[in-house]
Amino acid sequence: MKPRFEAAYVLNVMAEDRPGIVAAVSGAVLDAGGNVDACSQTVLGGYFTLIMVVSFPAPLSEEAFVARLSGREGRPTGFQVQMRPFMPDLPPPGGAGCDNFVVTCFGPDACGVIHRFSALLADKGINIVDLYGQLDGERFVLISQVEIPRRWDLSMLQADLEALGAEQGYTVRLQHENIFIATNQLRLGRGEGPAAGAARGGGLNV
Amino acid sequence: MLRTDEILSTIQMLHAEHLDLRTVTLGVNLDDCAGPDAALLCRKLRGKLARHAGNLVSACDRVAAKYGVPVTNKRLAISPAVTLLAGHGRAAALDIAAALDAAAGDAGVDLLGGFTAFCEKGITSADAMLIDSLPEVLGGTRRVCASVNLASRKAGINMDAVARMGRAISAVAEATADRRGFGAAKLCVFANVPQDNPFMAGAHLGAGEPEAVVNVGVSGPGVVASALRRRIELQPDLTLGELAEEIKITAFRVTRVGELIGREVAAELGVPFGIVDLSLAPTPAVGDSVGEIIRILGVERIGAPGSTAAIALLTDAVKKGGSFASASVGGLSGTFIPVSEDAALAEAVRAGHLVLEKLEAMTSVCSVGLDMVALPGDTPPETLAALIADEMAIGVINNKTTGARLVPVPGGKVGETVEFGGLFGSAPIMAVRNAGASGAFVSRGGRIPAPIHSASN
Repeated sequence: MKPRFEAAYVLNVMAEDRPGIVAAVSGAVLDAGGNVDACSQTVLGGYFTLIMVVSFPAPLSEEAFVARLSGREGRPTGFQVQMRPFMPDLPPPGGAGCDNFVVTCFGPDACGVIHRFSALLADKGINIVDLYGQLDGERFVLISQVEIPRRWDLSMLQADLEALGAEQGYTVRLQHENIFIATNQLRLGRGEGPAAGAARGGGLNV
Repeated sequence: MLRTDEILSTIQMLHAEHLDLRTVTLGVNLDDCAGPDAALLCRKLRGKLARHAGNLVSACDRVAAKYGVPVTNKRLAISPAVTLLAGHGRAAALDIAAALDAAAGDAGVDLLGGFTAFCEKGITSADAMLIDSLPEVLGGTRRVCASVNLASRKAGINMDAVARMGRAISAVAEATADRRGFGAAKLCVFANVPQDNPFMAGAHLGAGEPEAVVNVGVSGPGVVASALRRRIELQPDLTLGELAEEIKITAFRVTRVGELIGREVAAELGVPFGIVDLSLAPTPAVGDSVGEIIRILGVERIGAPGSTAAIALLTDAVKKGGSFASASVGGLSGTFIPVSEDAALAEAVRAGHLVLEKLEAMTSVCSVGLDMVALPGDTPPETLAALIADEMAIGVINNKTTGARLVPVPGGKVGETVEFGGLFGSAPIMAVRNAGASGAFVSRGGRIPAPIHSASN
């Protein structure tokens, strides 16, 4: 990704959710002559968090940005703001040669569940790209979308995860993401990797 | 990025509702194994099947594990065996069947289809020999399945072949009397047989198909039933049109599972992917039942008036959803109502709600026909033939595939339950009303001419 201006930052804003947060933050960026190059937000339990890549014609400090934001609102915003320089072209965290999988875990809520599963993944250099956890009645539901380096034997990994799940009374499954794409989206696969190649029917005729 | 609700709904379908892939069927053409030396022919066919099918089971298992979807059956379908049998005698037919059985065993598959002949217009000497060898072939092998096409839209119905198959089915049942006539469960007769059907017992690799190809058959009645129940619980007053939409969406998702896995298994085996057969195939497991769907739609007793309309709605919705999901739809692609393999249908027969005549009416709008129907052992062969003729007529006139898989249970009486085991399930023996009253019609023989298709009322 290439930001519009040289002085690019990653901006993180956390606040109690209410209407107008995005308008306030993007307004402050505009007031400083800057551009929002990418953004994503999420809300969890009534709390709002926003991550943006923003860029300005001239360098801007976090304090200066917060001052602009407060000045615009005319009062302290109550936002927790963090800004750090944006580094373009970071290498992919999982390294090259990964396939996308989904880990789903269902079981009784207990302290340390997420840690134990994520520690197993971390030990194997498996990067979590999306994480969802929610109590559903008595049952805790944990869904991670992960990038698994191709060097791992899938059946061994599945066995490790299932064994860890069983210790905690959890049902754990590790499935390639294409099964979820195929059953929910209009296309059969994401358009990369062997399954999508197979989906295109390329090179299969003998 | 995938959405959480998408992931959860797929997990629900695969794991709470136990969606599986009913069958991955590898078709292999064996025409190049034919020759005058039967022993050499058998060696060649075993070699060829071993080369193509050696990795079938392991490839299916690997792909199944990757996606978390079990592949319930791995099977083989061969080009019609009648080509191999031509010029040979009965002994060679039995040797070839034994070689096929052994090859299927070596590959680790439970069934092999394609002991097949086509007789819709006439019977060659090889066809006749294949049909006459069926009692020994199906009695003497474990895995070989046979099928015979007896009628087509263009040829009409070959009643000589129909009569011959009536006798053959009786003889096969007698030859397997120690297993309650189970041999007949591995024998299908068809009108308009498809060339790429992955489901047993009718699977074979027909003319115009590649050297080797992977075809898959989906499952999913349980998933459709759960989806309908969920929707009705939220909105009890849904119309049939709205329920048809729900079936369509579910069929789309079920078909996608089949296509994804089928294509990947084909890629692993280095052969082309052929088709997904959309047919909702029930299993004897409670809940995985087409009959249950009829009940959910509101026909309390399967077989009551409305059952045929309900099956028509279901079949059409499945075809619509499945056709959008996959560009490679084939085989039978409709709805199966095999009595012994569907717990709710078997129960409806037991309770006296579903009779043979109503089942036949339902087959006019589903995809197969009188499938896995247990009949009294003393049903005359002419009556079996007449039942087949009726089913063939439905297919020929309506321009669709129909079939019959009738199991006359030696010594079996109406109402008695017969256990076939495994996916073949169990069923009560159904009454054939007016048995013995069709002999003169059948014995006339000849061909019922092909119908006219311009005056289509």
